[in-house]
Amino acid sequence: MTRAQYDYSSHTLVLTGACGSIGRAIAQRFFDSGANCVLTDLDQDSVSAFADSLDPTGQRVLALALDVTDPAKVDAVMQASHDRFGPIHALVTSAGLYDDAMVADMPDAQWQRAIAINLDSVFYTCRAAIPFMAEQSAIVNIASLAGHRGSRAHAHYAAAKGAVLSFSRSLAVELAPKIRVNAVSPGLIDGPMVQNLLSLTGSHFIDQTPMKRLGQPEEVASAIAFLCSADASFVTATSMHINGGLYIAS
Amino acid sequence: MSGHPDTHTGRVALVTGSGRGIGRAIADRLGLAGAIVAYLDHDPELARQAADEAVKAGRVALGVSADVADAQAVARAVKQVEATLGPIDILVNNAGISPKSGADGKRALTWEMDIDEWQRVVGVNLTGAFICSNAVLPGMVARQRGAIVSTSSVAGKTFCDIVGIHYAATKAGLIGFTKHLAGEVGPYGITVNAVAPGRIDTPLMRGTASAANEAAKQATPMRRFGTPDDVAGTVLYLTSGNASFVTGQTIDVAGGWLMT
Repeated sequence: MTRAQYDYSSHTLVLTGACGSIGRAIAQRFFDSGANCVLTDLDQDSVSAFADSLDPTGQRVLALALDVTDPAKVDAVMQASHDRFGPIHALVTSAGLYDDAMVADMPDAQWQRAIAINLDSVFYTCRAAIPFMAEQSAIVNIASLAGHRGSRAHAHYAAAKGAVLSFSRSLAVELAPKIRVNAVSPGLIDGPMVQNLLSLTGSHFIDQTPMKRLGQPEEVASAIAFLCSADASFVTATSMHINGGLYIAS
Repeated sequence: MSGHPDTHTGRVALVTGSGRGIGRAIADRLGLAGAIVAYLDHDPELARQAADEAVKAGRVALGVSADVADAQAVARAVKQVEATLGPIDILVNNAGISPKSGADGKRALTWEMDIDEWQRVVGVNLTGAFICSNAVLPGMVARQRGAIVSTSSVAGKTFCDIVGIHYAATKAGLIGFTKHLAGEVGPYGITVNAVAPGRIDTPLMRGTASAANEAAKQATPMRRFGTPDDVAGTVLYLTSGNASFVTGQTIDVAGGWLMT
């Protein structure tokens, strides 16, 4: 399926969490639209293998290992990206961690890890990228439906994602009009994370979704491609839900 | 994966209030993306001109005239569009009015407003969206595809000193309209969304006091007025295959103003 409606030729994407199912779809979408792609994830071998599959010539991809909770390493990635491809046109923070724990049973370390990976990393990544961002560039942070509504057994994740939403709005005001900043909030998107949830809850969530299906990672990537494009030239400080109507509120 | 076609090529779009302003930009943009566009406007001359220019540019288009608050007129227009262009796959409920009064012609105070004016605004801005959706939905439901986008406004979400209570209430109404209809027709593969423009440079905006407009610009992080094309880009997205899983949403096109 090709939807290369947005032209990102000679643009550069920097992406965290590139090896996740949504991250892969984002990378594919931008690569197909002509962008140079700086792909980062925890494990060098995995991200290198993914980059090779995307561009065997290696001309438009750069694969870097990155622990997004380490600010010095995040800074180094932005420098490396700039050295290779120049200014950044699109920054997408897709790294995240989703695990289960009820608040009553949650150890400090689990809370802190969720906040570090889902929230601190967004701060480190955006801060590090700002000096390298091009004029008329865009940042999209991946939040979650859980960040708006809360989520049973995911208070740590939901709290971090809610903070990503207000962080993004604040950053949008700081960086306007040079850089637009938006968030996307996926609902139930097909992938390992959701399959685990469905195995526990059966058809409940799909029954609750007006469109009666899961979303596909490509549909999240499409929203991000739009938000980074000139078609979204006056869209900043917003959050966009991609959830088939599962949550129709804000 | 079900959803909207990947391109707009050959899809029939009906855009209300498309003789000028934001509606014109939306209709033109859909046409440039390959859609076959019906320009519907209350003013037959504006509708005809817009369609003529699209045809001259090599696109397939039709100008139709109707008052969207008149169900029979809309039914006739929809029949004419579908007979001429084919089944309507995209509906943009954009027609809207924002009457002003007072000595300077730029006020709309609740205690000076007569009920006829209130009812006229509700009729065009809100009931019009119902009438048009009501007219095209049987076909969309039967074909199990379609996209509806309505033009709401930031004025439907917060106090805005340049519009009247009728305008604010109808634009808020369109947000509820969008949420409900999305839930209702989601099972048929139809998406329903809205855009909420901030201060957009249009004839309607220029009808308001310049000091108020300047204040709004200063309250907008992007430090400029939006353009009709800014809004059109978001409508293009919401009616495209890119947005097949986006429904029930109201997307602010406001340069960061309000930030909901």
